[in-house]
Amino acid sequence: MSPDGTVEIDHVWKRFRADRGRRLFRDHVSRAQQRLTGNSAAADWRWVLRDVDFKITQGEAVGIMGINGAGKSTLLKMISGVMYPHSGRIRVAGRIGALLEVSSGIHPELTGRENINIFGTLLGLSRAQVNSKYDEIVAFAEIESAVNRQIKFYSSGMKTRLGFSIAAFLEPDVLVVDEVLAVGDQIFQQKCLDRMRVVLQSGVTLLLVSHDLASMGATATRGLWLHDGTLRGDGPIEQVLTSYRRDIEGRAAESSTAHGDVGVSDFQVSRPDGMAIETNEPCRLEFKLDSAKDRILEIFVGVTQGPATPIFLLSKAYEVQEGSTPFRVDIPRLPLPVGDFHVWVAVSDRLSRQPLTPWQPIAPLLVGGHRSLDPGIRGVVRLSPVFVEAQWETL
Amino acid sequence: MSHDTPTDSPSTAPGDFPERTDILALPPPELRYRRALEIGPAIKRLFAARPIIWALIVRQVRATYSQQVLGLAWALMTPLAQMLVFTVLLNRVDNKTGIDTHGIPKQLWLYIGLVAWSFFSSGVASGGTSLIANPLLNKIYAPREVFPIAQIATSMIDATASAMLLPILMIITAHGISVTALWAPIPLLVLVGFATAIAVIVSAITVYARDLRSGLPLLLQLGMFLPGVLYPVEKVIPASGRWLYTAIAPVGSVVGELRNCMLLNRAPDPTTMGIAAASTAVWLFFTFLFFKRLETGFADVS
Repeated sequence: MSPDGTVEIDHVWKRFRADRGRRLFRDHVSRAQQRLTGNSAAADWRWVLRDVDFKITQGEAVGIMGINGAGKSTLLKMISGVMYPHSGRIRVAGRIGALLEVSSGIHPELTGRENINIFGTLLGLSRAQVNSKYDEIVAFAEIESAVNRQIKFYSSGMKTRLGFSIAAFLEPDVLVVDEVLAVGDQIFQQKCLDRMRVVLQSGVTLLLVSHDLASMGATATRGLWLHDGTLRGDGPIEQVLTSYRRDIEGRAAESSTAHGDVGVSDFQVSRPDGMAIETNEPCRLEFKLDSAKDRILEIFVGVTQGPATPIFLLSKAYEVQEGSTPFRVDIPRLPLPVGDFHVWVAVSDRLSRQPLTPWQPIAPLLVGGHRSLDPGIRGVVRLSPVFVEAQWETL
Repeated sequence: MSHDTPTDSPSTAPGDFPERTDILALPPPELRYRRALEIGPAIKRLFAARPIIWALIVRQVRATYSQQVLGLAWALMTPLAQMLVFTVLLNRVDNKTGIDTHGIPKQLWLYIGLVAWSFFSSGVASGGTSLIANPLLNKIYAPREVFPIAQIATSMIDATASAMLLPILMIITAHGISVTALWAPIPLLVLVGFATAIAVIVSAITVYARDLRSGLPLLLQLGMFLPGVLYPVEKVIPASGRWLYTAIAPVGSVVGELRNCMLLNRAPDPTTMGIAAASTAVWLFFTFLFFKRLETGFADVS
């Protein structure tokens, strides 16, 4: 027997019907006909997971990433035992606690107190366990004044906090978390991360699915990347995140097809002395803007890592003539650590404030050298990967 | 525009993860997952899920009656209203129907049948649809049959509330309860068992064929006129076919026996009850087997 908290996913395949929702009588008749005439109905199936294979040892914190439809939720459902694989085996040792869209399991007609008791039992706690944790759950969810109120009179934040709190006090061997940190206000999010850290220190195996890559990077130690139903990456979280971010950037660049009144062309990133781009060294961006008429432009240049939210954003207004105008932006000290980044550009009309191009990825920016970020605190999310030079000494 | 500038990803860095191309189109057949179906452990797991069933019942009952002024009193309304309607009707057409109530006041006679049937019908209706559109299905890890079973139990609570009216009816009609009512738990147990079997199989079928959701109320409405529920089985089914009727669908005969022992001072007929109990056991066994066989696919479709 493996120790409690071990998860073994052994060549798992899963498929769904492709034509779900259209199950009329005539469909059944035609399917029966196909079966009789020997035309196999193989095309009716869509594979959502193909040959996914990995093992998680007790106490690991694993972040699962992937774009929508990659199979993350299906995998989590199978790990938590509510869904079964088509092929392969899934072995989970010990008790599973799942935080999957928890708030929908809470009954709106019941009071907070009733929901804690009932939902706690449904999730596998004994009556004594629920009673002993009741006060902690109420305090954590910050609903002391509302425990005797029906849930339908709760704010949506209170509802999600309650759902998370019940599940957070489960004390499982394997904790499965699907996108719940995105709920609640910032104070509660911080509390959740704190709680997660406490849970992790107690040796619980964590499986985390989130699109918030920063908090995933701060919480997980190992990354799994699901892509189109296959396990594309498996390794240290930073390494997998880097690769995944690069892939997303590529997709974003491909999908940005919008044309504006102003064209951006000949974009180049370089270092004035011709060497490779490095942290805290000068960096030069050059590009051309093609305008159809004379106007005043507001130009925005930003650098991102992963999503479209920039780490920093520069802007400047310029009057341009009809035709092509070359631009040069010099950054004397590039405050980015080693890694893959992307340059994004947007242009708007200064006077009408109308956007002339969309906020679009333009070119990759690779920062070399050896200056990487200081190691983070587990469970503390860094808002932006900015490199800051500092001198330390004891006094 | 972005098309003019090279936006391709940089050349594959060390430690990069290229898209997988080594995956087969279909899983090798020897990997196929088939859950071993073992009745013993399955029943053990169901037994271990008692707290979950209990929590589902509490959840359901509290939620249903929490904001209603009359609360559980609503459980009395359906059989009471039906009883009044049927009594009036039967009084009008009494001679033609020829239902011999053996001198029992019709209200009492009908009320027992109606309470029993409304238990069966509400249990099957709610239990049979308990797996579709159920937000808990993907949240809690428990054998799936806890959902229809909890619904049956909830209906039992409603039926118990309805039965509270029985003593009052007996006082009004000045007709006492028979001593043989002590036998009542036996037909009641069989009735609950059969209702559970039907609810379990209906819930499994409904997941795949939603038609049943629309057809079920109709079937249950018609089922009220099954021999035994409102009138004696003997009335329409010849003695030679009675065992077959009981064996196929014990519900009518069982309700008849229940009424006989409650009102007619007649102990349940051992043959009928034996056949009914055996049939219910077979029903329970095979519906459970059927349910467990389909269970692995519920989450995919539901």
